[in-house]
Amino acid sequence: MKQGVLFVIFLITLTAICDTISQLFLKSTINSINLQVNNIGKIIKLIIRIMGIPRVWIGFFFSTLSLLIWLFALTKSELSFAFSIDSMHYIFIAFGSLLVLKEKIGSLRWVGIISIVVGIALVSVS
Amino acid sequence: MPKKTNLSIKIFLFLILTDVLETFTQFCFKKTAIPETGIEIKAFSAVIIFAKAVVLSPFLWIGLISVLFTFIIWSTILSKIDLSVAVPLASFSYIMVPLASIIFLHEKVPPLRWLGICFILAGVVFVSISSKQKKAEA
Repeated sequence: MKQGVLFVIFLITLTAICDTISQLFLKSTINSINLQVNNIGKIIKLIIRIMGIPRVWIGFFFSTLSLLIWLFALTKSELSFAFSIDSMHYIFIAFGSLLVLKEKIGSLRWVGIISIVVGIALVSVS
Repeated sequence: MPKKTNLSIKIFLFLILTDVLETFTQFCFKKTAIPETGIEIKAFSAVIIFAKAVVLSPFLWIGLISVLFTFIIWSTILSKIDLSVAVPLASFSYIMVPLASIIFLHEKVPPLRWLGICFILAGVVFVSISSKQKKAEA
């Protein structure tokens, strides 16, 4: 039983890492396009331009991988437990944005992110 | 001069839409996975049986269409705000369902969950403010 829980946590960590990688690829692709999106036509144009950039497909690959692992994890765990563990995802995203995308994360944003992680863990567990 | 987009109501609506779609997707995928809970995935042949059942499930395909729409909306959001703002703000969905059940269904909520809701809400507010500050400095 104990081992089962650890295995689920391991799977969900893997999911979170894969998803973070895919988000980083997507965001960096969108950053490189630099298009002002303000109507439906522009949105379609943005999506088409995104699809044309090879890098984003690496992101899609990781996204699919993340989904498969997540599906597998769900066969072994309750959704609420899975979500509470998945809250660490926000930490990975924050570090990824900081290190890879060079986004500026001030102390206020850190406090906000940590507060969200604690909150999700509490909501999911209770 | 192109209009500079701040954290507008529109982005919040988009984020909520993403959350709703994502929840729907999760529901579909959980439905896809449930019938196979009995299968012990140890041997490679069991993996194939699992994969086959997943591909044949209609919920998988409905879920994937939902993923496509989520992707389009999410890309639109990311073209306007930082990743480290968009992802935390998307956590708003964790409080929408409990808050809706409190307001409309008058459900009793355990204190620990109240505490969690407050933490998330505070976090969302902090992250939003941090985004506005950055824009103001720029």
